[in-house]
Amino acid sequence: MSLAQVVDHLRNIAGRDAVLDRPEDVMLYEYDAGIRKSTPGAVVFPQTTEQVSEIMRLASSVHMPVVARGAGTGLSGGAISQKGGIVIAFSRMNRILEVDVENQRAVVQPGMVNLQLSEHVSHLGLYFAPDPSSQKACTIGGNVAENSGGPHTLMYGVTVNHVTGVEVVLPSGEIVHFGGKAAESYGYDMTGFFVGSEGTIGIATAITVKLLRKPEKVATLLGIFESVDDAAQTVSAITAAGITPAALEMLDGWTLRTIEAYCHAGYPLDAGAVLLIELDGLREAVEEQAEAVREVCLQQKAREVRRAKTEEERALLWKGRKTAFGALGRVSPSYYTQDGVVPRSQIPAVLRHIGYVAKKYNLIIGNIFHAGDGNLHPLILFDIRFPDQLERALAASKEILEWCISAGGSITGEHGVGMEKRDLMPVLFTEQDLDVMISLRNAFNGDDVLNPQKLFPTPRMCREITGPAQNPVLVQEGM
Amino acid sequence: MSTASTATRFGSEFRAICGAEHVVEDPELHPRNILGIAPAFAVTPGSADEVVGVLRFANEHGLVVVPAGGFTQQHSGNLPPQVDVLLHTTRLTEVEHYDAADLTIGIGAGCTVAQLASKVAVDRLFFPGDPPLQERCTIGGMLATGLYGPHRHGYGSPRDYCIGVRFVTGDARKAKGGGRVVKNVAGYDMMKLLIGSQGTLGIITSASFKLFPAPRQTRTFLSEFASAGEALAFRNRMLHSPLDPICLELISPEARALLTLEGISCASWSILVRAAGSDAVVARYHAELGSAVSREVEGRQEHDLWQAVSDFPHTVGERHPRSLLFSMTLPLADVQPVLDGVAMVAQSNSFTLATIGRVGVGHLLVAMRPEPHAEVTLVNFVNAASGLRNRLPRDASVAVLHCPAEARHHVPAWGPMPTDLASMRAVKLALDPKDILNRGRFLF
Repeated sequence: MSLAQVVDHLRNIAGRDAVLDRPEDVMLYEYDAGIRKSTPGAVVFPQTTEQVSEIMRLASSVHMPVVARGAGTGLSGGAISQKGGIVIAFSRMNRILEVDVENQRAVVQPGMVNLQLSEHVSHLGLYFAPDPSSQKACTIGGNVAENSGGPHTLMYGVTVNHVTGVEVVLPSGEIVHFGGKAAESYGYDMTGFFVGSEGTIGIATAITVKLLRKPEKVATLLGIFESVDDAAQTVSAITAAGITPAALEMLDGWTLRTIEAYCHAGYPLDAGAVLLIELDGLREAVEEQAEAVREVCLQQKAREVRRAKTEEERALLWKGRKTAFGALGRVSPSYYTQDGVVPRSQIPAVLRHIGYVAKKYNLIIGNIFHAGDGNLHPLILFDIRFPDQLERALAASKEILEWCISAGGSITGEHGVGMEKRDLMPVLFTEQDLDVMISLRNAFNGDDVLNPQKLFPTPRMCREITGPAQNPVLVQEGM
Repeated sequence: MSTASTATRFGSEFRAICGAEHVVEDPELHPRNILGIAPAFAVTPGSADEVVGVLRFANEHGLVVVPAGGFTQQHSGNLPPQVDVLLHTTRLTEVEHYDAADLTIGIGAGCTVAQLASKVAVDRLFFPGDPPLQERCTIGGMLATGLYGPHRHGYGSPRDYCIGVRFVTGDARKAKGGGRVVKNVAGYDMMKLLIGSQGTLGIITSASFKLFPAPRQTRTFLSEFASAGEALAFRNRMLHSPLDPICLELISPEARALLTLEGISCASWSILVRAAGSDAVVARYHAELGSAVSREVEGRQEHDLWQAVSDFPHTVGERHPRSLLFSMTLPLADVQPVLDGVAMVAQSNSFTLATIGRVGVGHLLVAMRPEPHAEVTLVNFVNAASGLRNRLPRDASVAVLHCPAEARHHVPAWGPMPTDLASMRAVKLALDPKDILNRGRFLF
């Protein structure tokens, strides 16, 4: 079947105005927030689960690759189509289907924007805990696919800890249900398995999430340090002191100055690094922990520890953290963000290694990350118009991730493997580990119609470990 | 496995894999059986590679393998049609990594929950797993059965704190999922599939966990109510308050009698609230809960109280072999209607009910035992089980954790589940295509 015929079928299924296929339109769907690109053949905007099911049935019958897409804020290429494939965009399935206060659950469509859910239930004293930095734009469907995190996952866990049920359209077009409103169920935990499967098992069309009660008290501290090393040691010291903050973020001096110039969050311009530390919960516990955190910071040579006095001050500190990526856009034509994880005690060592890698490849690498759970986001600046810079950025990134793995860590804490890190999977997992996972994918998506070229290395990569730079066929220009 | 000569051949193969001293061939020599069915062999591999060897051989020869840890849950599940090999994980006890400063540990599946807990307690760390019989229950068994106890309320279930797992699939592939860091989304989440899989997908050989700082102190507040309804109204108040206890447990009057909780009358429904934190935090609980509290417990007595609550499923079976024990997961708002429905079912079949539950997260344990002097027959057991199932709301699931031998053939161990059965079957086929692991005991 030709693409034009497929597009006709898609229009019959979803409506005439619900399909894009002109080159200038589909071009807008060729990228995400990472660095890779690939132009789809068509973009379809279903409005119902049944339409998604029909689209999947059609795609499977003609073997046309399909990828689901939320807001395209992902950093690993998860929502990028195979060239000429179908993008199912969920911007018209963005409603809250139910808020069930008694059961502390909401049922939402996959296109629901993360922050909008929390705003919608705020008057009930409830919120949705996963808070990726892109939460103003990213969708809960995307969060489910990538098992997204955010600063507050330190205490509250990533998306999988907050999803109790999903309605899924399988590649066959069949509509199935995993879990429901109960916190757990007997039977295999298909919900837990589905979350984070990066769109390779099925497409979520309705998601049941936990709503948490807002904490009684929140304390937000800013620890100011002369050096990155002092700040990094403090992270380990806070963990070792038995304090679990709700969030524990670190920004190095270069990054905080870049942010400060952009949004005036109130970060000290002359600091070597800052820690943004949030404690929440019962008033008494928060006050004690805030005091304990302050003491640990000062013992670890903090120059000063500030505490947000008002909600406005707190919001401003977080605004700086959450708009960091926008700020970087002002100083560099391109950047590459990594998502490595190390055991928390290894943070000082990994940061020293990142400094070494930056020198070795002659790159600027900023650091802004979820320090409390060892989840790094080195920001590698480069100019994509110069191919050698891209090569160096990719090589530097690979070297950092390999260090993370050698320290007992992981290549992704919250962004997913997607397209960009799939060829590093053989460093983390044995051939047989991957073989087991692939047999599970094949049990649902045997023809690889759904999100091909994601998560798993290309077959030859199972045996040879080469860097992403050697397989950059989809890397094109600009961002 | 029909002839004596094949049996001998299999025996020598297992001895070659695991070492002669780790294979028991004569079923008479090992007292362990699975719901009355004696295995032909009992093997105790000493490494994941030896597990691979056993499973590969079992696949080649169509042998059914039953994984076993501390034997605390082998009485549950459906009657197996066949048991050829009992595979003990008890030699898999190696500590893979222990990073006290990172609050993580990776440990062999054969280690007991109590061993793990006491190992990390030395560093003032805390492992929240609290299944029944922690001195016997192994890490592998706890994960495979998805067991948890009262800490479920404040610390989540193993699915929340297990961060990595190593296992051997039914078709003898040695694999892993996750890792040893607290945040990690690389690859499929194999932990989720294995936790609660009842040993039907793979044999867990080791697992990594998040640990928590040990609470400085804890105190338990006991409140008493005239009815379940009043107790649940109190639960709702708790859930809407800023308090975040580590345990929130409902205990019915009969369950209290069963647990023989010292010095507590058995006339009322109780809610136990366990607070952890500083003096100021505990004082806040005291102030918030106010007059609802009839008693506060701490120290040794508190420890024993929670141990008894954890062990409730075991105590039921021990004291009343002729009882049914149901474990149910359900949405919070369904707890009350389910308790009402269960009461009617029990009454019409001449059973006495004893109920406990993590009612803040929607988990109930309901024991039914024949009323004293009542003529309870097989029909009553069957009707009670089906009656309970029929009263379950949408999204609930149920397992029968204990069933008297006389009713086992007629009471299915697993009840309705909200998750698509065909998808679960697809997972089973992908990892254990010949159905050698725990055949017949779980869903398929």
